[in-house]
Amino acid sequence: MAETTIDIRTASPVRHAAEVYRRSLVAHLRSIVEYPADFWVMASSGALWQILQFAFIAILFANVSAVAGWGYHEMLLLIGFLTLTGGTTAMLCDGVWSIGSMVIKGEIDYRITRPAPVIVQVASTHVGMQAFGEVTLGAAMFVYGWIGAGLSPALIPVALLLLACGLVIEMALMTAMCAVNFWVKGTASIFGFILVDLQENVMRFPLGIYPAAVRVVATFVVPLGFASFVPVQILTSRLSAWWLIGPPVAAAATVAAAALVVRAGLRSYDSAGH
Amino acid sequence: MADAIAAPRGHRFAADRALALISFKRRLAYKTTWLFSITFGGWQLLVGIVVWEHIIGAGSVGGYDWDAMRAYLLIGFVTSTIAWGGADWQMANRILDGLVAIDMTKPVDFQRARAAEYVGGAASVLPTAVLGAVAAWFLFDPQLPVTPLAGVLTVVSILFIFPMAFGVGYLSIMLCFWTRRYLGIQWAKDGFVAFFSGMMVPLALMPGWLQVLSWCLPFPHFTTTPAAIYLGRVDTLGALGLIAAEAAWVVVMWGGARLIWRRAIKKVTIHGG
Repeated sequence: MAETTIDIRTASPVRHAAEVYRRSLVAHLRSIVEYPADFWVMASSGALWQILQFAFIAILFANVSAVAGWGYHEMLLLIGFLTLTGGTTAMLCDGVWSIGSMVIKGEIDYRITRPAPVIVQVASTHVGMQAFGEVTLGAAMFVYGWIGAGLSPALIPVALLLLACGLVIEMALMTAMCAVNFWVKGTASIFGFILVDLQENVMRFPLGIYPAAVRVVATFVVPLGFASFVPVQILTSRLSAWWLIGPPVAAAATVAAAALVVRAGLRSYDSAGH
Repeated sequence: MADAIAAPRGHRFAADRALALISFKRRLAYKTTWLFSITFGGWQLLVGIVVWEHIIGAGSVGGYDWDAMRAYLLIGFVTSTIAWGGADWQMANRILDGLVAIDMTKPVDFQRARAAEYVGGAASVLPTAVLGAVAAWFLFDPQLPVTPLAGVLTVVSILFIFPMAFGVGYLSIMLCFWTRRYLGIQWAKDGFVAFFSGMMVPLALMPGWLQVLSWCLPFPHFTTTPAAIYLGRVDTLGALGLIAAEAAWVVVMWGGARLIWRRAIKKVTIHGG
């Protein structure tokens, strides 16, 4: 496998960080290939949860015709969207879950001394193997919902843009939530779990069924709405094209917020007592 | 089979009691985990209430009207708190880090010792379940049990979730002898329990074949059985039958685990040394 080497003295910092990130992730993927049985168990359990999720929706819609005005195929679009962004996040930055244990064990030290952004090094230390099953099934639900809801192929570029924004929001929020462990010491990323739980339990239903306060918080305070609910509404023409501005703005805002949290966390980091 | 169920000689009840107590205290020591389990459970209950109120409205779905569904969700909150309350990880880690080799030299039966620890640990979530249920009771005012006897039988069927959750958890950690990892297995197991128990969606809403499949598995007893007894969807005789089925599953899983254990210990890998 031919590797391109870059000169750390001349490369731009962004390109250098991207290269470190890519190599670190590829190294992890190689280690996964060494343990194929583990990969298949994890990927199958990821797929199983999505099959059960699909079964839940199918059973629900065998008994009712709409939830908050949303039909079967629109619900599949929503859940497919959530699964795609959530699964890809687990593939691309699952390492952030280990911030808590790295802080406790003083393992951030080692990363501060290396010539690459700390968060890039931490995020690329792990790949969530369940995500391979989740993304496959999530894509299947999304496509099935797309065809069933009769969406035009002309919307595909818009959908890709919205998926990219959703992914960035999800990754930024996950990083910020796990970075809370810089202050709240513990190996379990409880705030990360809260985010996952919010996405899997609250956001899988149209926000319209919740009280107004929940809708406002989930759209403008923690912009989860822009990572799934608003994009699917744009695709299904429930919202006007003007709303397309929302997801990129929310993505930029969450990245900025995550960067602030991580920086503040690194500043307050005082290594482990030895 | 009788031989498989019997414990090795020398394992006394005092050992079980001590292990259960230690496990109980260890779990109570981690107060944040305790706090979060009630928060998570409560949150899911709230989402369930909002979603099903919206879906059912003034009508009914699968034979559940809104009054019955509130009681169903509340029972689901209690049963899922107990079902997720056990520490599978502690059992799995004994196999994964090779501690099981030392356990084999101890004069205690591995399975009984793990059962005692599991039940002790799971009992630590009882305050969560009871407090949460009482709070939710005042908030949502669910329907009462059809008869006082049904209420008593509901409690009995819920208590059976402790040994049943141990059986399912212990059988799944046995797989660690072959896979050497537990996370994927745990997720798969949790998925089966959540879906086939009726926690995710009541079994009555499922197509007939899926209901038959569910009832062939031990999982419906984790939510559907207590809810059915409480709401009077089965009469007293039916309730006793369901409780007998729970007892049968406990015995079958216990004996089955013994048989698997005999094969599994030949796979023990001792790391390092």
